[in-house]
Amino acid sequence: MGLPLGFGFLGASYAFSAFAHSYPTFSINSLAWFQLLSRPFAFAFLAFTYYFTKKTSTNTRLIGDATLSGMIVVLTSLFILFLVAPKFALDNYQFLSIYTRVFDIVCLVYITFHTIRSHLVSQDSKTILTPFGYMLIGIGQYSLLIWNIGDMNNKFPFYGGLALRWIGLVLFLIIAYRTFYGSQKRIPE
Amino acid sequence: MKKKARRNKMKIYGDLLSILKAEKKSADKIVLTRIQSKMNVPFDRLKSYISDLEDLKLIEDQVSLNLTQKGKQYLDEYQKILDFMERMGVANR
Repeated sequence: MGLPLGFGFLGASYAFSAFAHSYPTFSINSLAWFQLLSRPFAFAFLAFTYYFTKKTSTNTRLIGDATLSGMIVVLTSLFILFLVAPKFALDNYQFLSIYTRVFDIVCLVYITFHTIRSHLVSQDSKTILTPFGYMLIGIGQYSLLIWNIGDMNNKFPFYGGLALRWIGLVLFLIIAYRTFYGSQKRIPE
Repeated sequence: MKKKARRNKMKIYGDLLSILKAEKKSADKIVLTRIQSKMNVPFDRLKSYISDLEDLKLIEDQVSLNLTQKGKQYLDEYQKILDFMERMGVANR
């Protein structure tokens, strides 16, 4: 369940981001906070999913399920908090966004190494796109971090980061398309 | 000794259908004990899984063990999900 949940949260965070950027007062509307907080949860979901796939015992599976459930509860609570009290900590947006992006990058580095290792174990060319996808999203996050820390009037890191993110997501779409629509000949006789 | 991953019903039915299909192709007669060893489950539990497959209309009956159209479709979708998980690096075959 981690993969669909993780990509679901990631999609939601990108949708929030698109809506939030369409407002002129970007950093002081609640949608900006939603996208900022939901993205680390999405990457954490994905990282935990990859972490727990290596574990096979029943106990670890229970811990994995409990972790994912706990994260859903925390995320829901945060959403409710920001809906009820949208003025909460609004001044710290830029500050917090640096920390969340660093956290995103850490998760993505872990996932990238995990998927590279899976690819090396399987020695199968069809698994090579996945680490590339995560790597591009990670570099995109790094580019956005540079933009956050540095001169925010220079839009090159911002648009560069967005472009890398889109290329990464397109790679995942290609993987899904090849799996579910690119193998029609496999239909059983 | 490394502990084997606990299988859920989706995986059990998928693996069983896959084995039944392979057995149908390779042998004239399906021998349950051979399926049991491939599935690595006790015989009584194998019988109950086969009974489940019949109830779900994934096989025609418990004697012929032929896959129905629904069974073939299930197997195809199951293999696509496994393939997707493998491509995403979360394979647990």
